Amino acid sequence: MKKTALSAMAAVLAACGGSERAVSNDPFCQAVLPMVDAYLERVRSENPTPDDDRYGGTIVVGGYGEISDGMNAAVSGDNTATQHQNFVNLMTLIDYDERFEPRPYLAESWEMSPDSLEITFHIRRDVFWHDGQQTDAHDVAFTWDVVTDPLTAFPNAAFWDHWVHGPEGVEVVDDFTVRLHLTRIHADFLDPWRQTAILPEHLLGDVPRDSLRQHPFGTQCPVGNGPFVFNEHRTNERWVFDANPAFPASLGGRPFVDRYIYRIVPDQTTLLTELLTENVDVYISVIPDHAQSVLDDPALELKRFMQRQYIFVGWNSRRPQLADARVRRALTMGTDRESIVRSVVRGYGTVAHTGVPPFHWAFDPNAVEPLPYDPEAARALLDEAGWRDRDGDGVRESADGTRLSFVIKYNTNQTRQQVAEIMQSQLAQIGVEAQPQVVEYTTLMSQIQTPSLRDFDAIVLGWSADFKLDDTDLFHSERIDRPYAFSGTRNPEMDRLLEAISNTADREQAKELWTEYQAVLVAEQPYTFVYFPDRLDGVNRRVRNVVMDTRGDWVNVKDWYLDPASR
Amino acid sequence: MTRYVAGRVIGAVPLVIGIATIVFFAVSLAPGEPGILYIAPGLTQEVIEQMRANFGLDEPVYVRYVKWLGAMLTGDFGYSFSHSRPVLDVLLEFLPNTLLLSGCALLVAFVFGTVIGTLQAVRQYSLRDSAASVVLLFFYSMPSFWLALMLVLMFSLFARNVWDWPFWLPASGMTSTDHDFLSFGGQVWDRVVHLILPVVSLALVLTAGIARYMRASMLEVIRQDYIRTARAKGLSERVVVFKHAMRNSMIPIITLLGLQIPVLFGGTVFIETIFAWPGMGRAIVDAIGTRDYPLIMGGSFFFATIVVLANLVADVLYAVVDPRIRYD
Repeated sequence: MKKTALSAMAAVLAACGGSERAVSNDPFCQAVLPMVDAYLERVRSENPTPDDDRYGGTIVVGGYGEISDGMNAAVSGDNTATQHQNFVNLMTLIDYDERFEPRPYLAESWEMSPDSLEITFHIRRDVFWHDGQQTDAHDVAFTWDVVTDPLTAFPNAAFWDHWVHGPEGVEVVDDFTVRLHLTRIHADFLDPWRQTAILPEHLLGDVPRDSLRQHPFGTQCPVGNGPFVFNEHRTNERWVFDANPAFPASLGGRPFVDRYIYRIVPDQTTLLTELLTENVDVYISVIPDHAQSVLDDPALELKRFMQRQYIFVGWNSRRPQLADARVRRALTMGTDRESIVRSVVRGYGTVAHTGVPPFHWAFDPNAVEPLPYDPEAARALLDEAGWRDRDGDGVRESADGTRLSFVIKYNTNQTRQQVAEIMQSQLAQIGVEAQPQVVEYTTLMSQIQTPSLRDFDAIVLGWSADFKLDDTDLFHSERIDRPYAFSGTRNPEMDRLLEAISNTADREQAKELWTEYQAVLVAEQPYTFVYFPDRLDGVNRRVRNVVMDTRGDWVNVKDWYLDPASR
Repeated sequence: MTRYVAGRVIGAVPLVIGIATIVFFAVSLAPGEPGILYIAPGLTQEVIEQMRANFGLDEPVYVRYVKWLGAMLTGDFGYSFSHSRPVLDVLLEFLPNTLLLSGCALLVAFVFGTVIGTLQAVRQYSLRDSAASVVLLFFYSMPSFWLALMLVLMFSLFARNVWDWPFWLPASGMTSTDHDFLSFGGQVWDRVVHLILPVVSLALVLTAGIARYMRASMLEVIRQDYIRTARAKGLSERVVVFKHAMRNSMIPIITLLGLQIPVLFGGTVFIETIFAWPGMGRAIVDAIGTRDYPLIMGGSFFFATIVVLANLVADVLYAVVDPRIRYD
C-alpha cells in the first residue's frame, strides 16, 4: 500500500519535471520551427557575441493580458500586440524618433513624387526572415495587399483612407524597391507604416484571406525578421523570444539580452508582488494606487509618460436634457476635472479640453479657451438655457417639466466608476441629477454603438489619441448613423473643418485648422473631455538604458541591457 | 455494477448535450460580439461585417447551433477566436494545469479535513475541538481570493522583503522563467514550490467544510455499539478511532467530494487569475469577456463532462467503501 503510494507520487513528480519547450503540433509549425532553429544556430555561429559585458542575460516583462492575435499584424489591433510586432519580433517600414518624426527602419530611404501622390520605399538588403529567407519589396507589396483586402478585415481600415487600395495601389519596381500610390496627402500620411508590421509573403502568401486570423503564424509559430526570434508561447503563461544575432549592425545589431520573456500575470497585486520580489523586471502599466510602492523601493524606478489615450464623458445629444450645447458646457463647468485627476489617478494625468494630446504637433496650449471649473457660471448657464428648479427638489426642470436627470454608464473599471461617481456628486451641486450605472463592457459597447439603439444618456469611455488624429468618425454629421458618432453631433462648421484637416498636408496649415476646430469643439461639447492618463511602468534598476515614452513601453527593448553585476 | 455504470454513462450523454445547448443559446443571446474588442474609431461597419463572416457568425443562430452540434459530435470544437487556434488544442493545454491544481487541492483538503474532523470528534467540546471550530469557521467564511492575496503578501512579499525569511514562495506562475535551464530535480522542486500557495488557497475553504462534515459523521459513528465492542475488546484508542470509526464515517465525505467538484472548479477561476495559473477556469472567464463563443462552448462542455463523471465516480466509490450499498 505504502509502496504504491510512493511510486504513484514519484510518477506524478516525474510528470511535473522535465518539461519540454512547448511546440505546436500544427503542420505549419512543425515545418517552420526547425528552419527557424537551424537559422538561429547558423547566424549564432556566424555572428559571435561582441566582447562587451552588456551582452547576455534574460529580461522578464510582466503584463496583465495575452498578446491578442500574437504576431499576426494583419488582424490585430491590441496595443501590447502591436508593440511586440513592431519592436520585438517583426519590423515596420519606418519608426519614429524621440520627437515623433519618421526615420528609416526596414525602409532605408523613401522619396515622394513631385505631385506627392507616389511614394517609393527602398528596402534594406540585410534583413532576413528568421527562417533564412530575405525580406524584400515583395513582402511589402504582399502586406499591402493583405491589409487592404476587405476579406482580411484589417481592424483599422481608416489607416488607409489616403491610399489607393489593393493591387492597383502598389508596384514592385525591383526586388528592393516598392512604390505605393496615394489618393491625397495628409499631414501624417506615413503613420500607418509605423503601426503596421511587414509580414512574410513566402509563408503567408497562399493563406486564404478570410481565414488568415486562424493561421498558426499568429500565436503558435510566428516567423519575424526583427531583433528577437520567437522561441515559444505557452498560452496565458508566457512568450519567449531569443536575441537575433543577425539583426543589422546599422540598426544597432543584436539585442543586448540573450532572452526576452513576456509573462502574463492578470492580477495587478500579484504583478506588483512579482516586481517587488524581483521575479519580473518590468511591470507594464502600473495602476496609480501601486505607484507609491514602486517609488518607495530603491531597487525600482517608476517610468511615466503620456499615453496615446484620453478619458471622456460622451453626451447623447438626442436626449432632450442634453440637446442644448449650453447644458453640455454647464456640465463640463460643473465638473472639477483637476480634482478627478488628483483623486482618481493620483495626479498621474493631465486635464483634457479636447482630444488633441499635448505631445502632438497639432497641440497648441493657447488654442482653446478652456472651460473652467466654475459652478456659479454653470448654474447661470443652466438658468439661461431654461433649466430651473421649479418644484424645489434640488433638480432642475425645463419649462415643460423634463427633469435635468440622466444615467452615466460605465463598464466594470474602477477608474471610470470613480469618474462617474465624482461627477454625480459635483453635478448635484448645480442642480443636475446624474446616476452612475455599471454595464458589462461588450454589452455597453453594443448599446451605444448600434445606430438603432443608442441606449445611453452619458457614458464614461476612453479613446486612443494616436499620432494620426482624426475626429471624423466621432463628430462628422455624415457619420451620424455610423457606430462611433454616438454623441449625435451635427455642426456644419465642424464638418467643414474636419474635411479640411483631412485634406491638408502642411502641418502649419493643419495646425491652424486644428486650432479653429478645437474652438468649435469646446463650444459644442459633444464630450466632456476629462483627462489624458499617464502610463506608468515599474522597472527594476538592474535593467539599464530603458526608454519608455509616448511611442511605447517597448520602443527600445533591443537596447535594454542588464547590469552585469546582477546577472 | 458494470451495468449500473454503463447506464449512468449513457444517461450522462443527453445531460451534457443539454447543458451545452443551454450554454450555447445563453451566450449567443448575450449582447455584444467578438468584433467589439477591436472597436475604435476607424473600424468601419464593413470591417465589422467581414469579421463576423470570418468568425462564422453571419448565419442565424439556429443554423450555427446545428453546425456546432454536428461538428462537436465528431470531436471538432472549432477555432478559438481569441487564441487563433483549435479550441481542443487550447483546452488540452489548459486542462492538465487545472486538474493538477484542483486535484492537489482536493487531496490536501481531503487528508487534512478528515484528520482534523476526526481529532475534533474524539474530544468533543474540548479546548482543541472549540479552537479548531473557530479557526475552521474563519477560513470557511473567507472568500478564497482574499485568502489567496493574503498568502501572497505574507509568504512571498513580506517573507522576502520585510521579514527576511531564508525561504519564500513564488507569487505566481506554474514554473520559474528559467525552468528549462534547471536540473531535473530542480525542475520538480520548482513545480512544487509554485504549487504550494495556489493549492493552499484553494484547499483551505474546502478543508474547513470537509472537517465540519467529518466531525459530525464521526460523532455519530463513535457512539455506535460496535465501537463500544472494539474498545471492550481492549483495542487501543488509536486503532479504534482510525481503523474502525474513521473508515465508516468517511462514507458521507465521499459523496461530499463529488458535490464539491463544481465548487472547486468555481474556485479555480479566482485562484488561477491571482496566481497567473494558465488554467481552464480563467480561460473560460476570459472567453466570456471576449465573446469567444467556441472556447466558451468547448470549455463548458469539458467542465460539464468532468462534473458529471465526478459525480458518477463518487457514487461508485460509495459502493466500494460501503459494502451494504449495491447497484444492481
